[in-house]
Amino acid sequence: MTRMSCAGLVLYLFCLLSFLPAVGQETFTVKGLVIDADTRAPLAGASIVGKEFYAVSASDGEFTLTRVPGGNREFEVSYLGYASERVVLHVDSDITRVTIVLKSSGTELRGVEVYGKSHERRARENPVGIIEVSREFMEANRENSLMQTLSRIPGVTTINIGSGQSKPVIRGLGFNRVSVVQNGIKHEAQQWGSDHGLEIDQYDVERVRVVKGPASLLYGSDALAGVVDIPAPAMPGPHSFSGSVNLLGETNNNLLGISAGVTGRKEKWYYRGRLTFRDYADYKVPADRINFEGYIFELHKRHLRNTAGEEANASFSVGYTSDNITSETFFSNVYAKNGFFANAHGLEVRSSEIDYDRSARDTDLPFHQVNHFKITNNTTITIDDHTLDIDLGFQNNWREEHSEPVPHGHMPKPDDSREREFRKQTYTLNAGDTYVLGTHTLAGGINLELQENSIGGWGFLIPAYTRFTAGIFAYDQFEVRPGLHLQAGLRYDYGMMKTRSYYDWFPTEVNHPDGTSSSEYLQRAVAETLHFDNISASAGISYLSGKTTYKINLGKSFRIPLANELASDGVNYHMYRFEKGRADLDPESSYQLDVDVSHEGEGFHFGISPFVNWFDNYIYLNPTSSYYETLQVYEYTQSEVFRIGGEVSAGTTLFGRLHIDLSGEYVHSRQRSGPKKGFTLPFSPPLSGLLSVRYGSGDFLFFRQPVFTADYKVAATQDEIVPPEESTRGYEVLNLSWQTDMDLFRDYPPVGLRLKVSNVLDTRYYNHTSFYRLIAVPEAGRNLSLSLTIPIP
Amino acid sequence: MLGLLGCSDDDSIDKDEEKPTISIAYDEGFPKACEVLKRGETYTFRARVTDNMALAAYSLDIHHNFDHHTHDDQEETCELGPVKEASDPWTLMENYTIEEGGTSYEIQLELTVPEDVDTGDYHCQYSVIDATGWQSRTAIDIKVVE
Repeated sequence: MTRMSCAGLVLYLFCLLSFLPAVGQETFTVKGLVIDADTRAPLAGASIVGKEFYAVSASDGEFTLTRVPGGNREFEVSYLGYASERVVLHVDSDITRVTIVLKSSGTELRGVEVYGKSHERRARENPVGIIEVSREFMEANRENSLMQTLSRIPGVTTINIGSGQSKPVIRGLGFNRVSVVQNGIKHEAQQWGSDHGLEIDQYDVERVRVVKGPASLLYGSDALAGVVDIPAPAMPGPHSFSGSVNLLGETNNNLLGISAGVTGRKEKWYYRGRLTFRDYADYKVPADRINFEGYIFELHKRHLRNTAGEEANASFSVGYTSDNITSETFFSNVYAKNGFFANAHGLEVRSSEIDYDRSARDTDLPFHQVNHFKITNNTTITIDDHTLDIDLGFQNNWREEHSEPVPHGHMPKPDDSREREFRKQTYTLNAGDTYVLGTHTLAGGINLELQENSIGGWGFLIPAYTRFTAGIFAYDQFEVRPGLHLQAGLRYDYGMMKTRSYYDWFPTEVNHPDGTSSSEYLQRAVAETLHFDNISASAGISYLSGKTTYKINLGKSFRIPLANELASDGVNYHMYRFEKGRADLDPESSYQLDVDVSHEGEGFHFGISPFVNWFDNYIYLNPTSSYYETLQVYEYTQSEVFRIGGEVSAGTTLFGRLHIDLSGEYVHSRQRSGPKKGFTLPFSPPLSGLLSVRYGSGDFLFFRQPVFTADYKVAATQDEIVPPEESTRGYEVLNLSWQTDMDLFRDYPPVGLRLKVSNVLDTRYYNHTSFYRLIAVPEAGRNLSLSLTIPIP
Repeated sequence: MLGLLGCSDDDSIDKDEEKPTISIAYDEGFPKACEVLKRGETYTFRARVTDNMALAAYSLDIHHNFDHHTHDDQEETCELGPVKEASDPWTLMENYTIEEGGTSYEIQLELTVPEDVDTGDYHCQYSVIDATGWQSRTAIDIKVVE
């Protein structure tokens, strides 16, 4: 996938500060600071180059030029990815503080090459709705998991599993209908499972590109509802070093977290490294007991017992850059262990001899462990007007679920607690070329992916399988005239899925029609090789008129059926159902029309992004009205689905300091055929809105740029349900936060502080799309969190 | 404000959004919580099921709870015997369709507790599904004795 190189630049020079008396006629010292115009954050690694003098800004953004001859001196200030600017400074004495404000703004850069344009400009020109999420957004809104952080974006919601895990949902679609891509490589884990989240260290994520809309053209299978694309972090500047340590404490689940990262660069070689560790206890809900279908679970001190967990992540990368080649290789490992609520695992109510309440910090059965190891390489080669991108990836994903062994149906009591094990090795190769030909930007490429999936444990859900997919795509972005862009593309994919057979490890008494019975090891999955292919396409127009952007895009996206959809044939005791796959499922295909209008004015912004979507064969796990033994049979079926919805947002700045933002999102889904005709889809998010008020109070004491934020979220009642869901009452919840930089020590870069109170009123409410909603568990109660970011100088 | 943004529901056909119900809370309902069943005896298991539209099928599941792995959803809490290993527990898994559909039905199943099964704590679970695919369950702790 093409990676966009960094941005253009507009440079303002403020020469504000004191001039000391001249000490000599020959040369002077100039000290200064390079900062980002929007965030006021110091920029490390910017180079300041004059005729006979040279400096690089340090991690705090400061630089010193020595022996600068007097007179009008010309500087070239450049920061990687930004176009260089020349600046003239009149030097007649030592200068102690020149503040150089670098502003990234594409709108004033007409006629710059595509790859010199800012992310924002590129996002505006792309007819597909793309939201660029900055590092500042990530830091200001950081929650317990990556997707919870991103759920502030209108149209993005999550499926939460307890306090530390979440799955992405875009406009009501999740699981394998959203692609997650990191460093150009599609993140492959057990996305289909409902009880575990995304295995990515959110501290490794510097920026995110959220694509709302059909994106199979570029991202292949699964990018039906959208993509969470996590590009590699920006390359550090030459001769730079920076680092920081983040400390986090939370009161609701007594979380302690630490994440430390460093990054540095010589001239051409650069590296990054990060270690993250988090440990948390059972989380607390504003309820003394849980009432679930006649069962009553008393909670000890309002703790949701056995939901504690831990996470340990490490990552390292090394990169090389020169004029026409940039290559970076990443190594990362994410490990997590999470407990599941002890009283009911899924829908299965459990009693246990385990004394769960002796400690809120330990993780007893049931729990799961996941590990995700990844090596990726991104190489970009520029030859004349061609930009070649090659992404290589290897991922080893492992997940093990443990629960107390109990006999079920014909299954005797297993010997150990290892109920399920999933291993997945994924090999990925993406290669693409982007060619700028006058007003056309032509791109084409291939995506290859091979997966080996194996299973273990005594509980069968999906068979082992091998999957191979290959896709080829081409598109053209045509600049009709500045501000008016057409984009169209076509893609072909081939997929092969080879399932292995599986037999029960225990015998079942089978009654035959002739009255006899026998004891048999039942076959749950058959060995089969299935082939799929699909053509996807996308076409759209974007029109930029001053500060307003208009977009319209029509796309077809697809998804190859999953192994569980094709080949399940077994009991899922946690969900109290028998799941039956169908080998004749077609690839899911979806047609979507998106319109996006946004306006970014001075002190005012407005956006509206409606969409209409049609699936001709949505794969749906249908609860039937028949039994297998005594469990309800759920069978995968395909039905036509119509969806309509969108997001609106508006905001204004008052008195220069008070920002008020309002956003809302809604999606309406209908199955138009099949056994659940007239019903919605599972996990439909309710109509919701967010009112956010931010106030920048100005510096005081040692606090720099403090910002106070109040978020008021309102969700309507969700009556749109499909069996076996329950409707969920609406709610209102208030979150407050205060974020500031602190100048604590002289000559030391500022320390970041963030204080946040979530669910201020300890409101008892239910989130329709949370995993534990199924058993009537409310969302977490009040939480106070304190985060400190300490720079390593 | 949120109400104004919502779409009106023009296309809702007659959608069944109600679960069926299942109950043993009437005189003849059987077994009641903490009921004691004798080996070799025959009992009529009875439960009343209803639905707003059409009933489809029901099931009865009896399995041992010697390891105390679960408990029932009745108001009474039964005294459980000591935890023990199963050697030849009573396991019953039966399902039946309700051919006539209808909105109300009484489950009546004649069952004999086998002579040779382990005595001890058992778990008895009824389930009912309606024509739409909504399910309701109820579970009862019982005991099997000599």
